[in-house]
Amino acid sequence: MSRAVERDVLAGAGLALSVLAAAAVLAPKAGSSRIRSQRIAALPRSGPQPRTAVRAARRLNGAAGMLAASVLADSSVEHYRGSFKNRAMYTPLVVSALTLATSLHGTSDMRPLAHRLRDGCYLLAAATGLLGTGFHFYNVTKKVGGFSWQNLFYGAPLGAPMAILLSGLLGFCSERVRETARSPRPEMFGLPAARTIAAVTGAGLLGTSGEAGLLHFRGAFHNPFMAVPVTLPPIGAALLFNAAARGQGRAHPFTRAWMWLLTAMGLAGVGFHAYGVSRNMGGWRNWSQNVLNGPPLPAPPSFTGLALAGLAALGLMREHRDA
Amino acid sequence: MYDDALHMPRARQGQAPDVFRPGGWVPMREYRNDEPVDFVIVGTGAGGGTLACKLAEYGFSVVAFDAGPYFRPLEDFASDEAEQTKLYWTDDRIVDGANPLQLGSNNSGKAVGGSTVHFAMVSLRFRPEWFKSRTVLGYGADWPLDWREMWDYYTEVEQALKISGPVTYPWGPPRPRYPYRAHPLNAAARALAKGCEALGIDWTETPLATISAPRGLAHPCVYRGFCVTGCSTNAKQSALVTWIPRALAAGAEIRDLAMVGRIEVDDNGLVSGVHYHRDDGWHFQRARNVVVAGYAIETPRLLLNSATDRYRDGLANSSGLVGKNLMTQSNQAVWGVMDDEVRSYKGPPSLAITEHWNYADKGKDFFGGYAYMSQGPLPQLWANTQASAHGLWGGPLVEEMKNYNHVVGLKIVGEMLPQETSRVTLADEVDQYGLRIPRVTYSWCDNDKRLIDHSLKFMSRALQAAGAKDLWIQEDDTCHLNGTARMGDDAGTSVVNADCRSWDIPNLWICDGSVFPTVGGVNPSLTIQAIACRTADRIRAMARRGELNRSARRSSAPISATTDATASTA
Amino acid sequence: MHDRSRNRITQDRYPDYDVLAKRNGPSWNDKTREVIARRLSIDSQPLFFAAEEFETLTAIAARIVPQPASRPQIPVAALIDRKLHEGVSDGYRLAGMPREREAWRRGLHALDAEARLAFSERFAGLSGAQQDELLHRAEAGRLNAPEWGSMRCSDFFKRRLLHDIVLAYYSHPVAWNEIGWGGPASPRGYVRLDYNERDPWEAAEARPGHESEAARTNRHVR
Repeated sequence: MSRAVERDVLAGAGLALSVLAAAAVLAPKAGSSRIRSQRIAALPRSGPQPRTAVRAARRLNGAAGMLAASVLADSSVEHYRGSFKNRAMYTPLVVSALTLATSLHGTSDMRPLAHRLRDGCYLLAAATGLLGTGFHFYNVTKKVGGFSWQNLFYGAPLGAPMAILLSGLLGFCSERVRETARSPRPEMFGLPAARTIAAVTGAGLLGTSGEAGLLHFRGAFHNPFMAVPVTLPPIGAALLFNAAARGQGRAHPFTRAWMWLLTAMGLAGVGFHAYGVSRNMGGWRNWSQNVLNGPPLPAPPSFTGLALAGLAALGLMREHRDA
Repeated sequence: MYDDALHMPRARQGQAPDVFRPGGWVPMREYRNDEPVDFVIVGTGAGGGTLACKLAEYGFSVVAFDAGPYFRPLEDFASDEAEQTKLYWTDDRIVDGANPLQLGSNNSGKAVGGSTVHFAMVSLRFRPEWFKSRTVLGYGADWPLDWREMWDYYTEVEQALKISGPVTYPWGPPRPRYPYRAHPLNAAARALAKGCEALGIDWTETPLATISAPRGLAHPCVYRGFCVTGCSTNAKQSALVTWIPRALAAGAEIRDLAMVGRIEVDDNGLVSGVHYHRDDGWHFQRARNVVVAGYAIETPRLLLNSATDRYRDGLANSSGLVGKNLMTQSNQAVWGVMDDEVRSYKGPPSLAITEHWNYADKGKDFFGGYAYMSQGPLPQLWANTQASAHGLWGGPLVEEMKNYNHVVGLKIVGEMLPQETSRVTLADEVDQYGLRIPRVTYSWCDNDKRLIDHSLKFMSRALQAAGAKDLWIQEDDTCHLNGTARMGDDAGTSVVNADCRSWDIPNLWICDGSVFPTVGGVNPSLTIQAIACRTADRIRAMARRGELNRSARRSSAPISATTDATASTA
Repeated sequence: MHDRSRNRITQDRYPDYDVLAKRNGPSWNDKTREVIARRLSIDSQPLFFAAEEFETLTAIAARIVPQPASRPQIPVAALIDRKLHEGVSDGYRLAGMPREREAWRRGLHALDAEARLAFSERFAGLSGAQQDELLHRAEAGRLNAPEWGSMRCSDFFKRRLLHDIVLAYYSHPVAWNEIGWGGPASPRGYVRLDYNERDPWEAAEARPGHESEAARTNRHVR
């Protein structure tokens, strides 16, 4: 196989894996959930609640997995477009695949204990996100024109590596929540876990919305629906910040509903982007160009990942007064 | 072949080709030849196509003629330079003068949509001072237009064509944000940018009339690089896919493969219609007004070919200026090769631009200005450049051509000064319609040469700074055609007034690049379209005040005066 | 990135690249397939020129765009013959120059006359060096046999002969392979536009010492 063909195969494999994983994350957890919720209902509202914490942790694993899947697919496509001309461009594929596997492991792990390997993996993901942002920033500034609209639009996207950073952070949070399952309240570094995660997720929503805003501005908002991912997520972020600020022990039904809305928006975004691809010259028949030049199919589910994290945080908050 | 655009008119029987759907049709209103329409427009390019749309939308009855075919780009355009010469005006013409022009390709079009069907899409505004270049800058001639008014019409055209341009434009007074974002730069454009940054001048993404995101049924640009041979993507916002569909929807009729050979003048000295050739025969369309929009060669040719006993020197020619002051723009280049692969055939050819020398007045030993842009020649064009401008043939040519993917170049669009000696006249030979063919005489003046010299020196430094080697200079190339029926404030020194209305015959109008008193250092299409939009607004205003008919009726008085003037000039 | 000057020794810059391999893919639309098929079907029988004229033209073309014998030949003379047969025109000519058909006939006869004058032999019968000498003199305006008439030999050389031959040669897919051009591109255009970026459907350039790698890549271009 020539190098070019290897690249094709690799990018294809990354895509396939991410699609499978996203499906797995979204699939309803069979069997045990109903029993578990009944048991939880029977428990008192205060005191150590290992199951609540574990459930929230597993949800967070799922959210981290969804983000990782989005990153795996997105970086497969985009770095394939960049011809993997720098070896470091393989890193996000490897790390997001690993993060994805870790997250899948986490979602099926019922033990109220942090897993050292998972922890390591999530930290690696977070570090990759930070480093990637650095790389992308360097890529943008070294191009002629420097830090300009042209290079922000078409150079390495500054916001993209943040998604793997967020995935790592959420995963790391998940382990902390899991770890504190036996303590009086789920917490991280002495902060209430649910509220911290809500705040982190809110920030993530803002950042991701900013990225969508930049790229949709590049597309001149030619379709009115392109305004959706720059309006709904910031509202979601505000709701999460509100919940984080004064949310203990409350149900936040509106915020939860909003998170479900964002979950759906992220998935619908794939459909919109697929439509966008079809509107390019040659449509899907010209996929070898249009999947790369059209709107990125794997990008919108990062909103879904973040919204799932928001739901996990809200769930923990509802079920645990001090979280 | 049941549907051959080149040989059988397509716009007829109540329908015209749908440019957005292969094999598709849209309804079209039709007018009888003996039915006097409000406006006959000769030509459907940047001037005529725009005006047809605006006048039809304002409720006038309009028939727009084009000598060329009515294409559906999606199915009629091949990705092939040789085939796509079918877009050019290749009827016989003679060139002479000290610097005979190259015609036929980059400065002509014979198709519905005119040369906008294959233009390079560069959509730039004039520098405001150029509208008063005589008074403010000391050369050329003043326009009878105010730049602030033009600024609004530029905005209208930029919106209508969804120009893809930079978020902020570095030169000139503020302008509204371009409706679409700039395209990604290719390597050739990055070379321009690097050269500019090394020499400390501004550069930017070129505002282009090709969309960077979908628009209606038009696909965004796919960077296939065949822009100047016709866009089969429909990303290019030519008159064919913008103004003309709007014109049809508003009730205008387009007559394709219809060559207008003569404008008829009635006993009152007013124009009454046009004689045109279609389907192997001559016909006469009656009209209340005739607008000539055939670009700077065919417009004067038609006016001169329409001479009558009353107007012996041709229509609208009491000033003697019809055909004179032909201006092209200098289009010299510096070429080199890079160690890197450039592959400049990808993307629109001119993705980056600097207008520095249009706006800077210090450091010049010449009047006027120039812009320069990155380049992306396709193989035939590039080989012809290597042969005719670089003088290569034989082994050296074939070997040099193998560097094609490493070639990088910078090319100017430079202002040339109006001279009465550069002009369009009629030759004695006739074309396939039996019409006398144009003779195009062109010579550079000293100022033109100084401008070219300045630009070549500057671009050589810029290209070197970008890392190119083996530089060489392409000295003889020109682009765009303007002048030959200039607008002005005075009937003695211009052919039309600010409203594009001829001084001599009040129901005869000229609306294309011919009316430019000066050309500036930018591609003219945006300005032509802005003038057409303004003309339409002026016509509507005059019609509302009843000035179209009234002035038409009392037209004979000034004509006798101008006939005298003609006699004295002659 | 590589040093271009070292590459000059490479005979084939884009080994095994064949732009026609893309013919049935998304880079070609129906109209392009039709146009190129017609061009490729042109045989070397003249329809416009007389046999002797065609022979002279063939000899001239071989000097202007020499072709290696090791690959399919581009029928340059026949391409020009078809263009004239169909009456395809540039759309302008210098004062003193006749229209395309007449200019070519007159120019070929004049060059033959010059060959007889200088070497007592028809142009096609001369050695390559002699042919080049005559062409150089035409280019420099230093031929003045009466056969030229009002047409200056330098105008004929630059504006007809060189122009038409070069355009004919580079209208052919074999020439596109030689220079590594991407070829027809619609509906599919290009994605990777920056320096040293190559789409998988573009020709790979052979770096010295890596010819076989480029050839392998080029065989996958579709």
